[in-house]
Amino acid sequence: MTKTGSTPTAATLSDRHLLGIQGLAVAEITALLERASYFADHPRQSFADILSGRTIVNLFFENSTRTRVSFEIAAKRLGAATLNIAVSGSSVKKGETLIDTATTLNAMHPDILVIRHFASGAPLLLSQHIQAAVINAGDGRHEHPTQALLDALTIQRELGRIAGLKVAICGDVANSRVARSNLWLLGALGADLRFVSPATLTPPGLADMGVPVYHNLEDGISGCDIVMMLRLQTERMEGQETPSQHEYHKLFGLNQQSLNRAAPHALIMHPGPMNRGVEIDSAIADDHEKSLIQRQVEMGVAVRMACLEALAEGLA
Amino acid sequence: MASKQADLLITNARLFCPASQLDGLGWLAVAEGRIAGLGSGQPDKGLKAGRLVDGGGKLLLPGLVDMRVQASDPGAEHLESLEALLRAAAAGGVTSLATLPATLPVIDNSAMIDSISLRASRLGGPRLFCLGALTQGLEGQRMAELGMMAKAGARGFASHLTSVADSQLMRRILTYAAMLERPVIHHCADPALSAEGEMHEGETATRLGLIGIPAAAETIILERDLALVRLTGATYHAGHVSTAGSVAALRRAKQEGLKVTADTAPPWFLLNEMAVPGFDTAFRLDPPLRSEADRLAVIDGLADGTIDAIASDHRAINPDHKKQPFGMASPGAAGIETLLPLSLALVSGGAVSLERVVQCLTAGPAAILGLEIGQLALGKPADMILLDSETGWVIRSADFITPSLSTPFEGQPVQGRVLASWVGGAQIFAMENWQ
Repeated sequence: MTKTGSTPTAATLSDRHLLGIQGLAVAEITALLERASYFADHPRQSFADILSGRTIVNLFFENSTRTRVSFEIAAKRLGAATLNIAVSGSSVKKGETLIDTATTLNAMHPDILVIRHFASGAPLLLSQHIQAAVINAGDGRHEHPTQALLDALTIQRELGRIAGLKVAICGDVANSRVARSNLWLLGALGADLRFVSPATLTPPGLADMGVPVYHNLEDGISGCDIVMMLRLQTERMEGQETPSQHEYHKLFGLNQQSLNRAAPHALIMHPGPMNRGVEIDSAIADDHEKSLIQRQVEMGVAVRMACLEALAEGLA
Repeated sequence: MASKQADLLITNARLFCPASQLDGLGWLAVAEGRIAGLGSGQPDKGLKAGRLVDGGGKLLLPGLVDMRVQASDPGAEHLESLEALLRAAAAGGVTSLATLPATLPVIDNSAMIDSISLRASRLGGPRLFCLGALTQGLEGQRMAELGMMAKAGARGFASHLTSVADSQLMRRILTYAAMLERPVIHHCADPALSAEGEMHEGETATRLGLIGIPAAAETIILERDLALVRLTGATYHAGHVSTAGSVAALRRAKQEGLKVTADTAPPWFLLNEMAVPGFDTAFRLDPPLRSEADRLAVIDGLADGTIDAIASDHRAINPDHKKQPFGMASPGAAGIETLLPLSLALVSGGAVSLERVVQCLTAGPAAILGLEIGQLALGKPADMILLDSETGWVIRSADFITPSLSTPFEGQPVQGRVLASWVGGAQIFAMENWQ
């Protein structure tokens, strides 16, 4: 979308943090996507002056490889110094509160703090106690804004638009921050959304939000342009949501047969990491004609560059 | 007055007491800790008093009876000592309080009751009554020594923030407590349905990505308990009722004639789940803040007598346990100093009459606990408060007497200031610059 016309400039955000898609204006979303698309179009160009001299801390309270690496590469391409802190329980177990951690980090004057946390709302809490700009890299079941942005960018670049597309978000919606952020983002951009999930993994009140909910995968994805599969969040589950992964696969796993119900040109997405043979068949995940999964990862870096840059605009 | 000599004489006050159907300018005399005389207009000129108080036309109410207070002392006295709790209570107009058993150690034996009662009596101030634990260590496995605790003065038996899951155990506790003529006071929350829960279940929880606690978690246990009350004939009390379903169930049970009572607290009639977006942990409560429909049903329950008492549900929370992401924060809030003005908000809002609100704060809970207090009447203990119901102020936790500062009502404008509190005719609190 940026191959013609003028070069998009850095997006500007009204908030100095990026805590969720809720709270972003459509114009802000659009500006981030345009700038990210520009970054995606110029993978070899150096943008190292943009965040030169800035320090970015990746503070991860949950294991993550792809999101952390994606943020790290994005930061490095923009010329920032990055530091990764994995708090896999060490400080948490010692009783240090999130605010203690924030205060400690604050004293080291990072410019941007990228946080992933298992508790919904943790990035907001952190943002209230730290000078740095905060980016939410996933909090509990709440939001994962950069994932939704990269999903939108992927769709937009593949299909040229989002408005009017039929998008099915399928699987473990109850435990998914990706589903929620995409609900806000793709909804704001005019996609025709629906959810497909077992009743036990459908969060209460979802139907009241005006989005159709299906409990049958084939009916739910019928005629859809985009089929977005969610990871079965076994680590967030209490063990009673579905009878077995075997049954989940049979009823809610995407395979060639169920995919035939989607639109002929339908594309497959997945935020990763995938449970192959559970929510998605390997053959489909690896089908380069249909699967956008690798493109999503690629767009992740571009989107995070746009987000980091936008927040840097607001830094002193 | 027989003796014509009172220890304390309050004149020119608006005596207000629903239990005595009293509302009018008058006077009240105290002798030997009890109300020795009261009437409208001015007292007999011959009546002499050791201390004379001009009520200034303000409301003179029975002292509040707060039947749901969790003391932190012993065990967490650094959060709030017994002394601080009693001083805070006195300032809030609470002249009697019943403390829940979840101290450290747990109040599950008569020695604990003796110890806490003795310490409270040495400190002076409000009257303190203990609620003993239903089960040993509040673990929900074995009945505690209810009989010994009753002898030591326990006014009832209560659970902590966990329901007794075992129906057979609950049946036996109800049966045994009925023999002792003490109420069983239960926190109703199905343990499995509420185990991981962070807030009221529904669209708001889904938006915030917080785990929901369905309203049914409360009503499932309450309905089971009501069935057991029917079976045992026990006296039962549902603590901090928060859902429309519970109010409906209690209403039916009362119509049926079961010996059932209930209380609620200001968060559940003034706030709803819409306070939670923003993830402010001051709103992390147990039970959680419910839907608007639930809130309105709780108010209806207060208005029509289905709910008998308003309690503070006061609980000191370690501030470090509030500086956490919402779901990880400890539930609970201070409330004893704000109980009265927040309850009066029901009156100014037109939802509930002043009579009902005062009843729910005084004679209502006193009757549940089997106490002769909560009433302005001849011969009753002289526990009273003088209330300026007009003056507005703003709740600021920084001004609290308790060191426990977490409140969901920070910055809330309210009306009604306690000017003075008396227990047995002895003044235990006076507002600065009052007389």
